[in-house]
Amino acid sequence: MKKIFLLGTVVALTTLNGCDKKLDVAPTQTIDQTVALNASKDVEAALIGAYDALQGASTNTNGDTYAGGYQYTSELLAAVTTEVRFGGTFANLQELFRKELTTINTTAETLWLRSYLAINRANNVLANLDKVTDAKRSRVEGEALFIRGAVYFELVRLYGKQWGDGNNASNPGVPLVLTPTTAVTEANKVPRSTVAEVYAQAIDDLTKAEAALPVANSFYANKSVAAAILARLYLQQGNFAAARDAANRVIASGRYRLVTPFGAAFNTKLNNGGANPAEYVFAIQVNDQDGSNGMNTFFGTTIGSIPGTAGRGDIRIQPAHIAFYEAGDARGAFFIKPSANSANVFTYKFLDRFGNVPVVRLSEMILTRAEANFRLGTTVGAAPLADVNAIRTRAGLPSLTTLTLAAILKERKLELAFEGHAIHDIKRTGGTVGTLPFNSPKLILPVPQRERDIFPLLVQNEGY
Amino acid sequence: MRHILRMSIFGLSWCVALLANAQDRTVTGKVTSSEDGTGMPGVSVAVKGTARGSNTDAEGNYKVSVADNATLIFSFVGFAAIEEKIGNRSVINIQMKADAKSLSEVVVTGYGSQIKRDLTGNIAQVKAKDFENMPVPSVDQALQGKAAGVFVNSGGGKLGQAVTVRVRGNSSISASSQPLYVVDGVPVTSDDQSNYGGDTNPLADINPNDIESIEILKDASAGAIYGARAANGVVLISTKRGKAGKTSVSINYQAGSAQATKRLPFLNTEQYEKFYRQAAAYADGLDGLDVNDPNSYTQGLFGAGGFLDYYSYGTYGTPKQTDNNWQEKAFQKGPMQQMDMQISGGNEKTKFFMSGQYLNQTGTLIGNKLERISGRLNIDHQATNWLNVGLMMSLSRGDNWRLPDDNAFSNPLQAAALTPHTPFIDPNTGLSAGAPPGDINIPLYYNPILSVEYAKFVQTSYRNLTNTYAQATILPGLKFRTEFGVDVLNQNEEGYFQSQTVRNQTRAANGIGSNYGTFVTNYNANNFFSFNKEIGIHNIDATVGMSYQQSQTKRNFVEGTNFPSDSYRKIASAAIKSDGTSTETNFRFLSYFARANYRLKDRYLVGLSARVDGSSRFGKNSRYGFFPAVSAGWVISEESFLKNNRIVSFLKIRASHGLTGNSEIGDFPQLGLFQGDAGYVGAPGQRPSQIANPDLKWETTTQTDIGLDFGLLNNRINGEIDYYIKNTNDLLLEVNVPGTTGFSRQFKNVGALENKGFEFVLNTQNTVGKLKWNTSLNFATNANKVTDVQGQIIEGGVRNMNRVMEGQPIGVFFTREYAGVNPDNGDALFYKNTKAADGSIDRSTVTNGGYNSTERVVVGNPNPKFFGGITNTLSYGGIDFSIFFNGVSGNDVNFYGVGQYSSANGIYEDNQTTDQLNAWTPDNRNTDVPQARYLITNGSQPSSRYIFDGSYLRLRTLSLGYTLPKSITSRAKLERVRVYVSAMNLATFTKYKGWDPEVNSDTFTSNFAQGNDFYTPPQPRTILFGINIGL
Repeated sequence: MKKIFLLGTVVALTTLNGCDKKLDVAPTQTIDQTVALNASKDVEAALIGAYDALQGASTNTNGDTYAGGYQYTSELLAAVTTEVRFGGTFANLQELFRKELTTINTTAETLWLRSYLAINRANNVLANLDKVTDAKRSRVEGEALFIRGAVYFELVRLYGKQWGDGNNASNPGVPLVLTPTTAVTEANKVPRSTVAEVYAQAIDDLTKAEAALPVANSFYANKSVAAAILARLYLQQGNFAAARDAANRVIASGRYRLVTPFGAAFNTKLNNGGANPAEYVFAIQVNDQDGSNGMNTFFGTTIGSIPGTAGRGDIRIQPAHIAFYEAGDARGAFFIKPSANSANVFTYKFLDRFGNVPVVRLSEMILTRAEANFRLGTTVGAAPLADVNAIRTRAGLPSLTTLTLAAILKERKLELAFEGHAIHDIKRTGGTVGTLPFNSPKLILPVPQRERDIFPLLVQNEGY
Repeated sequence: MRHILRMSIFGLSWCVALLANAQDRTVTGKVTSSEDGTGMPGVSVAVKGTARGSNTDAEGNYKVSVADNATLIFSFVGFAAIEEKIGNRSVINIQMKADAKSLSEVVVTGYGSQIKRDLTGNIAQVKAKDFENMPVPSVDQALQGKAAGVFVNSGGGKLGQAVTVRVRGNSSISASSQPLYVVDGVPVTSDDQSNYGGDTNPLADINPNDIESIEILKDASAGAIYGARAANGVVLISTKRGKAGKTSVSINYQAGSAQATKRLPFLNTEQYEKFYRQAAAYADGLDGLDVNDPNSYTQGLFGAGGFLDYYSYGTYGTPKQTDNNWQEKAFQKGPMQQMDMQISGGNEKTKFFMSGQYLNQTGTLIGNKLERISGRLNIDHQATNWLNVGLMMSLSRGDNWRLPDDNAFSNPLQAAALTPHTPFIDPNTGLSAGAPPGDINIPLYYNPILSVEYAKFVQTSYRNLTNTYAQATILPGLKFRTEFGVDVLNQNEEGYFQSQTVRNQTRAANGIGSNYGTFVTNYNANNFFSFNKEIGIHNIDATVGMSYQQSQTKRNFVEGTNFPSDSYRKIASAAIKSDGTSTETNFRFLSYFARANYRLKDRYLVGLSARVDGSSRFGKNSRYGFFPAVSAGWVISEESFLKNNRIVSFLKIRASHGLTGNSEIGDFPQLGLFQGDAGYVGAPGQRPSQIANPDLKWETTTQTDIGLDFGLLNNRINGEIDYYIKNTNDLLLEVNVPGTTGFSRQFKNVGALENKGFEFVLNTQNTVGKLKWNTSLNFATNANKVTDVQGQIIEGGVRNMNRVMEGQPIGVFFTREYAGVNPDNGDALFYKNTKAADGSIDRSTVTNGGYNSTERVVVGNPNPKFFGGITNTLSYGGIDFSIFFNGVSGNDVNFYGVGQYSSANGIYEDNQTTDQLNAWTPDNRNTDVPQARYLITNGSQPSSRYIFDGSYLRLRTLSLGYTLPKSITSRAKLERVRVYVSAMNLATFTKYKGWDPEVNSDTFTSNFAQGNDFYTPPQPRTILFGINIGL
């Protein structure tokens, strides 16, 4: 009897060992990383995921990276109280506005995290290009390179010193990560590359992207989009010839035109059924199902008489700014008070809750070409005066007959006001923010404290 | 799964060969009580070493068929068990002696049971009589104060919501700290399944009156048999079983009414006006404005077209002005009724228990209601003399009319913040204030009454718990048992918000409807051998087996907006299907377990147990965990030097040490994952969503327990004393990783914390005889300390004021320290608490402007240091009386959720608690309420000002019953008639200034963020009348 019992037990327990496989339960709502990127369609979906990261991934409702984060950070860092006032309650934005950043500033932290989120998603695409069908490979590669290059450029100019301020080859830029993350080890603690190295990487990515991308690509990145960010990058470096040529390539593509009136270039859902106007070279798409417009969140406000407007009404425009506009300038009238007796004035550019967020408008390219031509004494594409007058004419202003650099820069400031250029233009032109010189450490974002808690060898910026 | 079934069938088929063939004969007799010589019904008569047995009938007679030389065991709760060798007798009469607090009681352990006397681990037992007919929807609430070391916080007064249960402290930061619930051998779904409002409690699907006993496995030796899931304690719930003999029918009906235990005093119109005139005048003074200036704060509040004018519909200052107590609108009388029927009985071979219950309970907050219909059938059948089979099955349907979470403007209790000048009814429309076509921006905030009148959200759950078993006696003392159980929870949640609620539900302009389906299916199989053998002075009791559990949760959701009218409420009529999703998740456990208890000479006890747990939740590199435990006991009172001691009747010391785990770490935390939710304006996209950690595993708790069980004066006084230390390591934390990876956090096993404490249980029979008076007392201490979190900053609760910090109890309140009021000018003051270079702390104070320059410090601890309960029961003739207090002390509660608005010396227009009338004025300088300054911050920032002592003592239940004399009931052919009145939460003694010190807001509570109050409704005070009839 005992033998039977023992035998039974042994048989029973050994049979049960087959149950071990039962523990290999695969998730149903998510998939394992090993099966995520096996086919062309998978990699294309991962590429869409990288755009999603630029647009405002997951729960962040304030718009990420190009959906507002890069832009309002630049504007708040450049803001002087006579022109712009921040009336909101978010401590992170108040710190930016007062130029008193702390290393735990959540904007500095979120922008860092979300930028690398986008970079990792782009890296996932780039590491799996071999799975993309031949017909699509070049485009997919170009788009991923564009996203990575553009994000590295935005990172290095926010977290690093201005190009040329000291030694680019030793000034710390940001860590360069060019491969996707599949596991976290010590090797993932990456030190900061230099400003020169990060710029070189961004130029490399964007140049290759421009070559690989098609001429037309819906609202996704195309040749002109890559060229436009290159123009912006070269201008930031003071490489006027390269900036001029890149901007000229965008303009000469003939794909974009200035729209009239000036107001038609904004609030795309209210004005244009959600589509990009002909003036947009690149914009982050937002609709009522997906994405959020971070510029709307902070610059916008609800106007009772205009359904579809929204916003926290945090960033208010002050009289000293409005005084810059000449009489008759359509752009000077592009401001609104929520009600007649309201003390607060808002820009009209970002009232639309579901409006697309403009990243590059044609007018930026025209003004970049004008400035570069003017500085170099050339007339590639068009004479600088003609370019500036094209912008002025659209704004309803009389043409200029003579041109100065100051006039070009003023036109640029007014045309592109609050669109994210402010601090970068001040830095590259050696301007000031109130009493702070262009190279003040207070105008550079800190490396987030959380990063240095994990990896103390990550160098912090001066002044933090 | 097929393997398990195959194994069970295999096990059973070869058992068939073992058909016993011993000669049977019949023994009869009568069992009487030594107290009064009457026959004792329901006494268990078991044939030792076999599955056979019987019960005595109503007169105490029994009949049982036995083999020669068998031994009968007579046992009955509260009486000492008797073993009797039958020899050649055919009639055996037995007289049983009452045992003061019987140590012969059977205690359910995992996969078996044990005599309490022989226990070497710590298992608390709560019996049916301790909680039957309590007006609480779920049984976990009934455990409060009943078992030492088991802390229960019901959270708030909303019906059917989640309850916090902590067995021997909080032993996790990120994983769950709730115990594992096992009903008749099946681990059941007990975590939140709600999609609206606060967390719900799936245990509310179980009728507490079906429960025979609840055992709580507290120490490692008791828990290790549940391995990776036992670190938070295991609650074993055993349902009632039938007994052979006369069929007993019991009908119980109770009805009564509940009221919220407390109202908080808020300002009436007169007080409000006086207070805010002062607050506005002070604010005007600070800004240099004249109170008559049209731009002044004063005119803004009180002037024509000002705040009060607007929000009172123009009645302010006119004869039409009314005084409206909005808080009172939130509450209602909550009638409840409950009908129970239980039938049990059977014969020697087949026993059954069946029950039905209908419960209808109205909440003490408007709009809240709970209904439950449940039925149960438990059958035990002796198929052959070696095979027993059985089935336990329950079905229930629960409907819960839910309330929004505490932090919603539609939470009824938030009405307390509304201006007393605002009438309940809009004089222009005759509808509730804020209902269109009236002005929807009145009152000050959304009127929560509108959500009661124009919206509803109902959760309906169907629950089936079924467990079947077959138990074969292979050899005398050797049994094989196989169990297969399911726990099916099907839940539907349906909500509709009419257009009138648009101020609260921004998308409800044309109605918004939502519908959620949740399907949780849980299969469980247990197969185990148990062996019991007594050889001379040696007794061995062993169990070995395996268990497999498979759980699947599927959810779906659809939402629609734009309904033609509010008459259409189904999403079929929604012009826009605005949202929808479906999700699924799974987990599995495969486990092997073994236990051996050895007893030598009835006095030396040793226990060994272990479990190997494998789970789909663990990483590939650590798929199986091993959880062993060892325990030992010494019954000193069996030794000759104590054997016949007149005072000490029982004395045992015991100790245990072992490992248990916590695997409530979610599903798939170990995998590297991609998620398909990264679309871009309509184009489908995917993203990496989680970084892999193939080493991820359970949290491990090492627990040591030493205990002493004692009985004095023939056990009339008996009790237990325990001391335990629980060290939890490998805490599952979400750890920061470099952001350059594209990820921000990863699950890792790092960190440690400890819990230690004393437990004390004392039961006494104060008087015996005609007047019986028993007292049972239990209390426990617990000290919790986080020893290592590797520098992670983990915070939660209201304004992130709860924090996990090394060297501190888990979730301490970490904020600025309030220093009172400057008597010279009424400014709020805060201690700087900055650390100087020499290590000294700067105790100087700053005022509001310097608030940011102060350091945050630990100002409170939400974890109770001491908690317990005391029950006194008295009976005299037909009268029975019981009174039960429970108490908690040493914990703090964060009132800031309410205080930042309503006890903020008038910073906003929110109605204030009356204690703010004590605000600083030049004539009232010695106060801790700063000067009231309308719209100017003065001390209402987060600080220790709002952290209060949450200790309380509560008269939890009180009941008085009268059982009609037999002479009367028998004339009506009734077995028993008892009428009773009972009350719950009749009185609460506390210094806490909020509604209820037993509070855990359903919004701001997490595993470690405890003790937050956010307009959380208080518990109900219920008074019930009932009648119990036995047929």
